[in-house]
Amino acid sequence: MAILARADLESLLRVRKLDRTLVPAREHRESIPTGLSTLDKTLGGGLPRGELSEIVGPRSSGRTTVAFGAMRSAGESGELSALVDTFDRFDPESAAAAGIRLAGLLWVRGESAIDPVPALERAVKAFNLVLQAGGFAVAALDLADVAPSALRRLPFTTWFRLARAVEGRRTAALIVAPDHLARSPGGVTVVLEAAPRWVGSSDRARICEGLWVHPSVSLLPAS
Amino acid sequence: MGAPERIVVACLLSPTAPAERLADVARAFSPRVECRSDCVLVDVSGLGRIVGEPPVVARELLREARTHGIDAVVAVAATRMAATLCARCQVPGAWCERVPGAWQVPGAGYAIVIPQGREREAVSELPLSVLSVFGFAEELPTLDRWGLRTLGELAALPPADLHARFGAAGLALHRAACGRDDRPLVPNVDPIRFEASIELEWPIDGLEPLSFVLARLLDPLSTALEQADRGASAITLTLTLTTRERVSRRLELPAPMRDARTLRTLLLLHLESHPVTGAGEEASGFNGGIDRVAIDIEPTPARIVQYSLLERALPSPETLSTLIARLEAIMGAGRVGAPALVDSHEPGAFTISRFGDLVISRFSDRQITKSQDHQMILRRFRLPVPARVDLDCGRPVRVTTLRRGLAGGRVLERAGPWRSSGGWWDRKWNIDDWEVALPDGVYRIVRDRDSNRWCLAGILD
Repeated sequence: MAILARADLESLLRVRKLDRTLVPAREHRESIPTGLSTLDKTLGGGLPRGELSEIVGPRSSGRTTVAFGAMRSAGESGELSALVDTFDRFDPESAAAAGIRLAGLLWVRGESAIDPVPALERAVKAFNLVLQAGGFAVAALDLADVAPSALRRLPFTTWFRLARAVEGRRTAALIVAPDHLARSPGGVTVVLEAAPRWVGSSDRARICEGLWVHPSVSLLPAS
Repeated sequence: MGAPERIVVACLLSPTAPAERLADVARAFSPRVECRSDCVLVDVSGLGRIVGEPPVVARELLREARTHGIDAVVAVAATRMAATLCARCQVPGAWCERVPGAWQVPGAGYAIVIPQGREREAVSELPLSVLSVFGFAEELPTLDRWGLRTLGELAALPPADLHARFGAAGLALHRAACGRDDRPLVPNVDPIRFEASIELEWPIDGLEPLSFVLARLLDPLSTALEQADRGASAITLTLTLTTRERVSRRLELPAPMRDARTLRTLLLLHLESHPVTGAGEEASGFNGGIDRVAIDIEPTPARIVQYSLLERALPSPETLSTLIARLEAIMGAGRVGAPALVDSHEPGAFTISRFGDLVISRFSDRQITKSQDHQMILRRFRLPVPARVDLDCGRPVRVTTLRRGLAGGRVLERAGPWRSSGGWWDRKWNIDDWEVALPDGVYRIVRDRDSNRWCLAGILD
């Protein structure tokens, strides 16, 4: 009975062209893997294309690593990626060491401005343009170092506009942020917690080899 | 569907008239004219219905030359080589058909026609010395020592033996002696200029009215480019202001393109991101107005794209160029592109290159660096954050910064130092790198060994 009622409601929404909040069938969605096997398994293959997803977590939780893992997967399949770097934090050397094909990465550099609000507004505009242009497998907006007060000054419709821009495209739109911001109805929120993996006994011999990542995924139930 | 019409070439040669004047005569019959140093070759195939058979064409060519006051020799053959050889020799071969009424008229030149398939016989009686103008001057003494005097004697030799003696030149000699071509006729094409300009009745000011003017200029240029199968490799916009000042902007395009809308958008975005006026004036103004707008396009062969069933389609160069121009208008020039590493050990050294070029050549750059999974990525502070670091036996134990949002704290884990130095001739660095785990994350901190100052270089994430 509940299933029938839900189907009736969804068909009514489609007739009225209000079906944007409906979650598409997840098993038919295209996705792009992140390289983290546990996370990809949970996500059913990877981050969904055509949706706005977010990767959130505190500092050194592996947010950038996961986002760059998706970009590496895109490069391995010969596709392009785009990174809107709000505060110019991208380090090409470590990205290349992580396997990202730099030639296929469009890097949009922001500025390390004292006033973050103009830099944030420019970055959101640039991200919107990238999504509208299409042709990228992964497009990421790096908001990891943006203060929550600056994020709150953005109009709430910003995220609807971004979700609308990526809808129906083959781009997996990502927002890297310290806390939950927004996602499209079919997008996912990947919450990361991680611990650094130190190897070696003495200071000189020790190295921070990587992260023990513990992802948890928040997503709406499949229809 | 019938067989394709054979190519018939006429050679006009005159010892007195320059090739340019002969070309004027030839262009009255066909646009496909190849100019040589002292003669011209014209493709007269297809003139059967307009002028007549080859003998008639030869006679008409000779008549046209006479009207221009040129004493010319006309030879019509199925090959360039046969026509040229017969025209150069004052005594044509026995197989040449002398055109009635155009043969050996004193002071008026002559015309001959070589029947198709008889080129070898037509040139067989010509002397070998005629080949000297075709670049075989070095081989002629050798042929003379062999006792060869005519092209027919040379054509009778086996080509393989000539190749054994002369190499590739031997085969070329044999082809010439047989009256065969080594290449087709290549018509001279006058370079087409793709430029347009407009004098405005009333001066315009601002980008919006300029957009309409650019559309009016670019639409016919785009059509002309398409008809000529060309694309624009660079576009130059010249604005003449009411102050008689001329402003010129040149856009180098990453790939040949001819879409008028894309070109207009790129020009407008360039003007928007690089305003014409000074700092104190309105960014979209043009010092009172624009009097004249001129566009000059540098053409290049159009782009041929072969799509693949196995490769994912990439965005077109037009889309990428427009996107990058729009992004640069927002973020600033030089802040959009593809990152690239430089050959240096300097921390944080990189360069940024144009993105479109790399995408176009992606199939030659499929090298992917394999590395460890889940390697930590450095989020680099482009401007290092000054920090105060407490040491215990030379090891960091506490990090403090004044930057809001970077609290610092007690060092939980550390690794290092890794020493690096270099660039003493230019941008010197002499540093110790540490990686330290603070309560809110893993940081890379750096000590400048010369000044003994500490700073945060980035966060591992």
